Amino acid sequence: MKFRDRTILVTGASRGIGAAIAKAFAAEGGLVFVNYRSSTAAAQAVVEACQAAGGQAVAIAADVTVPGEVEAMVARVAEEAGRLDVVVNNAFAPYVFDPDNRARFWETPWASYQAQIDGAVKATYTVCQAALPLMRQRGRGAIVNMATDLVARPSIAYHDYTTAKAALIGFSRNLATELGPLGIRVNCVAPGLVWPTDASGKTREAVKDQLIAQTPLGRIATPEDVTGPVLFLASDWSGFVTGQTLHVDGGLVMA
Amino acid sequence: MIERAGHLPGLAAAEVAWLQLDFAAWGESVQVSMPVLTEEQARALAAHIRENARAYLKTLPVAQIVTTIDKAIARLLDRDDPWRRKAEAILPIVTGYDRETVRLGLSGYLRTFRAPQLQRFLAEDFVNPGILDVFQPAMKGGFSRAHGPELLLHIWAGNVPGLSLWSLISGLLVKAGTVGKVASGEPLLAGWFSQILAEIDPKLGECLAIVWWKGGDTESDEVWLNEADTIVAYGGNEALAAIRERVPVTTRFLPHGHKIGFGLVSRAALDTRKAGPLTRLVAHDVMRYEQQGCYSPQMLFVERGGKVSPREFAELVSGELARFARTHPRRALSVAEAAGVAAWRAAEEMRAFDGGGRAVLGDAGDPWSVVCVEASEALAPSGLNRTLKIVAVDSLDAVVPLVAPFRAFLQSAAVAAAPEELFRVAALLGEAGVTRICAFGRMTAPEAGWHNDGRFNLLDLVTITEIEQAAELAAEGFAAYVD
Repeated sequence: MKFRDRTILVTGASRGIGAAIAKAFAAEGGLVFVNYRSSTAAAQAVVEACQAAGGQAVAIAADVTVPGEVEAMVARVAEEAGRLDVVVNNAFAPYVFDPDNRARFWETPWASYQAQIDGAVKATYTVCQAALPLMRQRGRGAIVNMATDLVARPSIAYHDYTTAKAALIGFSRNLATELGPLGIRVNCVAPGLVWPTDASGKTREAVKDQLIAQTPLGRIATPEDVTGPVLFLASDWSGFVTGQTLHVDGGLVMA
Repeated sequence: MIERAGHLPGLAAAEVAWLQLDFAAWGESVQVSMPVLTEEQARALAAHIRENARAYLKTLPVAQIVTTIDKAIARLLDRDDPWRRKAEAILPIVTGYDRETVRLGLSGYLRTFRAPQLQRFLAEDFVNPGILDVFQPAMKGGFSRAHGPELLLHIWAGNVPGLSLWSLISGLLVKAGTVGKVASGEPLLAGWFSQILAEIDPKLGECLAIVWWKGGDTESDEVWLNEADTIVAYGGNEALAAIRERVPVTTRFLPHGHKIGFGLVSRAALDTRKAGPLTRLVAHDVMRYEQQGCYSPQMLFVERGGKVSPREFAELVSGELARFARTHPRRALSVAEAAGVAAWRAAEEMRAFDGGGRAVLGDAGDPWSVVCVEASEALAPSGLNRTLKIVAVDSLDAVVPLVAPFRAFLQSAAVAAAPEELFRVAALLGEAGVTRICAFGRMTAPEAGWHNDGRFNLLDLVTITEIEQAAELAAEGFAAYVD
């Protein structure tokens, strides 16, 4: 029970990787705030799964790109838990990974980049700004930001998405530098293709086979594969690790 | 492990009763045998020291004493020397300070007692240290010579390793027959040092003794307080007052009471580049010896208006203390000490509920505690053992009225400010009673030759014998060669 008496906020936790992360924290005894934007029913299902797993969970709606909503969310965390140990910035702007019909660079308007940067960097920025006072007061905390291994190896050029995640890694390293002296760690987890999730539903078998062929561990990641590294970076087992990006892609990227 | 405290020239160990004190820390334990002298033995020891000092120590040139002390210190600085190895092995268990703190603290401290530093120390108090050897011409005419007491008694307190050496060495430099009463918190180093001196110069070893008696043992108190010509005593004001009551009126009594160190940080030091390293130095001063020294900081006044706010500065100090908790773990606290820390923190948390911009940082279970206060607050002791209050002020001048009412407790203040402000603030602090202005990171390491509590530590021990000019001239009239 590594996270007993710990409070964890997971953004975008009503489905996919975020839901898996929330459940994993709950299974380790944590009190998990399951953030979602609109899928109330799905979030409630995650809460129930968390409770079934042995932890406590609260569904909490907020659009993480809207400061007012984020502040209200963190205020509720402070009120209900009185502390915040871990933030997992998992939410991202809607995106469909479709290798067959992706937008090429000359088809990608700046607005698409902006939308992804808002979804990845602005959302993380907004959540961190709101959550930091709680962490600074106690001089401890861990922030885990979800990136992608596409930054290190753009097997398929998802320009807007990957550029935004690259910015998120840079953002995280700077934040790690700023917050290290205050006892707060910031790291990234960079999965490869994770299947099945809503976003990866359009990725065809041929593409998966191609990735699998180049992956030392010989398969595609599942949402559960991602949870271990996130929990590790959120726990004091990684107490001397900050500013890192941990690739979770079966060895496709080695850095 | 059994270790024997004290240094008792002229008394055989078998004749003496020994009381065993048990110490344990860091998973090890050590038993220290403390000498318990009868009244008769104490009087005999006093006479032995007095006679030997008169016959030998008083005849040594001060330069030779410096050389001998230098040799002894060199042995304690040499990490391969058996005495040093013993000190590094046992002092962490006895005092509870972690090994690195003891090792670094010892080296840093002992360095201030090598020959050049001792010469500086002498020069601080005597224009011509030769005045300790022979009559020297005086500026006003005539000749002067300084004499240390025949029997100087030190009563030490606290558990900072080697703190006793400071006054012990002062006494030797003025050729005083010396008896030191060790504190139960650190009963060993003074005895070891005396034994090293005795190994180097056996006759000098006969001129000093290290003793102990139980607190409240008024009979022993009585004997020693009456035997001594001069008494240097450390401790709390109550303990000192109790001693003073029983000191004969003709005996010189030099008390060093408890002090509250503090620090001032000017906004000039509070930009985003300088603040970080400065907080590390602050945390170092707080961590070193768990604020058990008179010079340790218990409160910090941080000026508003810098790029880094007092609150941010407090968070950074707390972060640095978190790191020191790993590299230099806090010693295990006694029940009373732990209760003191918890009570201090709980009281601050209660006041934080009332608002007023008070923040208690970290978790209650942390082995350190930093409180940040936005309203101005007067100097007050912290809970010790890595507890610090940081008070925001509008200017460093505003600190003076916050500390001035506590003149008796003022001694060391660290100041981080530009030169002009340093001197201006130092003048104000000096008027208020502060006697030592130092840099952060150096609070627990006073420089060689410092004036403890603003006093002349050697000069206070001596009496000056003057040959008046008229006596000298008159003597000419009685010379055989007079015409």
